[in-house]
Amino acid sequence: MTTLFFAKTARPALALLGLGVGLAGCQSDIAAPTASPGSLDFTSYVAVGNSLTSGYTDGGLFNDGQATSYPALLAQQFAKTGKGPASFVQPAFSSAKKDGSGYIKLQVVNNALAPVQPTAANSYLGEQVARTGAVLPGGDQLEAYSGAQPDNLGVPGISVLSSVSALTGGLVPYGVINPFYERLLTPAEKPTKDYVTYIGQKAPTFFTCWMGNNDVLAYAAAGGVVAPTNPFGGLTDTTRFGIGYRAILTTMTKNGTVKGAVANIPNVTSVPYFNTVTVAAVLASYKAAGLPISNIYVQALNAAGTATAARVATATDLLTLTAQAYIAGHPGVGTSPTNAIPSDYVLDPVEATNVTNRTTQLNAIIAKTALRFKLPVVDANSFLTGVANAGVYTNGVNNTATFASGNFFGLDGVHPSPRGYAIIANEWIRVINAYYGSTIPTVNANDYRGVLLP
Amino acid sequence: MQVKSLLLAGGALLVASSGAQASGFQVGLTGAKNVGMGGTGTGLYLDQASQFFNPGAFAFAPTGFQVGGNMAIPRISFRPAGADQGQRTLQNTNVFPFSGFVGFGPKEGKWRIGAGVYTPFGSELHYQQGWEGRYSLTDINLRSVFGQVTAAYAITPQFSVGGGVTTLLYGDVDLQRDIPVQAQGSAAPTHAQLTGTADHKVGYNIGVMFKPSDKLSAGLSYRSAVDAHVGDGDVKLTGLPASAAGSFTATKFDVTLPLPDVYSFGVGVRPNDRLTLAFDANLVGWSRYQSLNFTYTNGVLGGNAASSSKRQYEDALAFRLGGQYKFGENFTLRAGTFYDMACVRDGFVTPETPDAARIGVTAGFSYEFAKRFGLDASFLFEDFMKRSQSQDDLISNGTADRVAGTYKTTIAVPGVQLYVKF
Repeated sequence: MTTLFFAKTARPALALLGLGVGLAGCQSDIAAPTASPGSLDFTSYVAVGNSLTSGYTDGGLFNDGQATSYPALLAQQFAKTGKGPASFVQPAFSSAKKDGSGYIKLQVVNNALAPVQPTAANSYLGEQVARTGAVLPGGDQLEAYSGAQPDNLGVPGISVLSSVSALTGGLVPYGVINPFYERLLTPAEKPTKDYVTYIGQKAPTFFTCWMGNNDVLAYAAAGGVVAPTNPFGGLTDTTRFGIGYRAILTTMTKNGTVKGAVANIPNVTSVPYFNTVTVAAVLASYKAAGLPISNIYVQALNAAGTATAARVATATDLLTLTAQAYIAGHPGVGTSPTNAIPSDYVLDPVEATNVTNRTTQLNAIIAKTALRFKLPVVDANSFLTGVANAGVYTNGVNNTATFASGNFFGLDGVHPSPRGYAIIANEWIRVINAYYGSTIPTVNANDYRGVLLP
Repeated sequence: MQVKSLLLAGGALLVASSGAQASGFQVGLTGAKNVGMGGTGTGLYLDQASQFFNPGAFAFAPTGFQVGGNMAIPRISFRPAGADQGQRTLQNTNVFPFSGFVGFGPKEGKWRIGAGVYTPFGSELHYQQGWEGRYSLTDINLRSVFGQVTAAYAITPQFSVGGGVTTLLYGDVDLQRDIPVQAQGSAAPTHAQLTGTADHKVGYNIGVMFKPSDKLSAGLSYRSAVDAHVGDGDVKLTGLPASAAGSFTATKFDVTLPLPDVYSFGVGVRPNDRLTLAFDANLVGWSRYQSLNFTYTNGVLGGNAASSSKRQYEDALAFRLGGQYKFGENFTLRAGTFYDMACVRDGFVTPETPDAARIGVTAGFSYEFAKRFGLDASFLFEDFMKRSQSQDDLISNGTADRVAGTYKTTIAVPGVQLYVKF
């Protein structure tokens, strides 16, 4: 303090001699914080995961979304330590088909904002999609990726169960089912190469792994209905999850020699997908249309866990975001026991409890396995519960789990927006810094878009 | 060179500075002689600026006319906590606080009457494009001009009283920030600008001076609080997506900015004919400013008919020390220093007032170039303590509407004043 004081005292006297301009030109500088990798080496950073890792947002995978995926942002920030990757390869679509699978846009429909899916009928909303016209069991086939094996290995839809073909007896090769995985493989690899083998081809110096969401999400998103044709549509059992998860971490750590970080499974029932269309809102809209009803009927399990043809819906029945379009397309659905909202659009309390309990069990396996491989865990479960409860502030802006206006989640109601992914990247950085003693700088999440309005 | 040409250009004489020389958005740049002596003046009776510092002392001041201006050159830097993309600085703008006073009365008489205009509050800041705090503030221009009429009376040759009626003659505000709502196909978010002019408000100041001898004087003064009220400000939004228009229908706003009262105590000592020493202490009643509340009319802004942001300012003390030494008949040199405490609490710092405790040093001189005519020059430099707040601080204080990071400010203010003694 004293030295500061005396250091400055000489200046006004100089200023009086007409030298004030020189002084006025000097900026009040704040020393830059150091960006250090600590003991980490990011020369080859590889990200393993599902849609959340791929940068999937607004119900699609496309080049702009990939560019703001959390692994892309991590690679960018890792590079600021001077030990970062020179490049981070993503499985981008060709520039003429940059919109990939296509993505949902908000549009004004019947004087209300609605998320609109790109379909052949609406010319894919004018997007430059990369659909080939062929159809795989998991959706429309996409333009093949022909570049070097990506560093972002995120595959939308993949679960721990579908990553290791031995877990399903090699009977359902994922490379011929999932269009996002199929496009990464050569024709010869498609029927044979499972995901754990595919990611084992990389030789990372650092990796991140965020797997397991689809081991509970597929069940939840379909309202607890498991399609008989989909071997990966249920809740993955703990035995096979544990085997699969260990296999993935064994592969990525090269038997415990490569450093990295993992994230656990968020509570999927807190995302806008299950909290935007409510029973009360559906009832209110029918009443507003003049229907003299006092209840909404759904096909769902009763409290005893028994399937019912129809019962009165309560506030604890979570309707899916897709129920909005279904109800709009089926006027009167839900107004009587004979015309109840189908089970696919309802996550009832029994199903929700199943999802939550299984998530807790799988997260215990993730924690235990990570400990064994000496990897820090990003507690995405509690972080996203915090977002759902109170939102997360970024430089004066609160980003919440409210659909569209909350800006954290994109328009599919499940996946974060680019802003949300940037916030998640910061959480990864926080955990990595805390565990490894590095000082990787975070990103300004507000530089990435939330939801764009028409 | 730059200083000179800008001062001569001085048409932009309307107020403002970045809190130069006093806590919060006070501007302590009234009276060049006082500025040169660290902002002291409550216990002195140097010139017409006594009307501002202590109307009681005005009874002993010489009569005359004076007018002066300053150029405040703020340098504010910001580094965000965490997401560090380099230091952010202001788009540097210089502002021009001014003051002018006239005082009349019999040369050796007991009374004085006078009038003045000055600029005790203001702030003008333009942050760097795209800075981290853009959703709190991008630009602020807060200006005020006060007028005052003053009367003082020396009850005895040792004791005088005085008072003034002050008026907020002119005040305006221009607040701008980005809103986190973005249109499809647009690279920038919505931008909001709130502009308005303040109502005229009347206040007062009073003071007493006790002068047991020519070698010692002591003064007490009080300046009342005033609420600057903008009742019919305009809301202007750009880049608003059509589908969000229903949540942003407001066209007008109403806001009140409480301006603090100030208690001052000062002592002046004259060991000989040439030397004057002065000490001042001020208590500034910033605790009146608890929150910044906007009420919107003709609709809503962001879906809300009103907004409230925590300020919770604290009363702030300032201590000032100054002196002048007279060389011969025509030339006087001055120097001073001050320490001014922050009125903004830790974890409450906002971009519009990046307040911090600060140390200032000042210097100045007077040159009487003709009989009764003279020039006062002053220079002030102040160095704010570096001030940081974390996101956790902001969340626990309920002040997450501002940004986490570190602010550092320095300000240099050259000033010049002309006077004539009657």
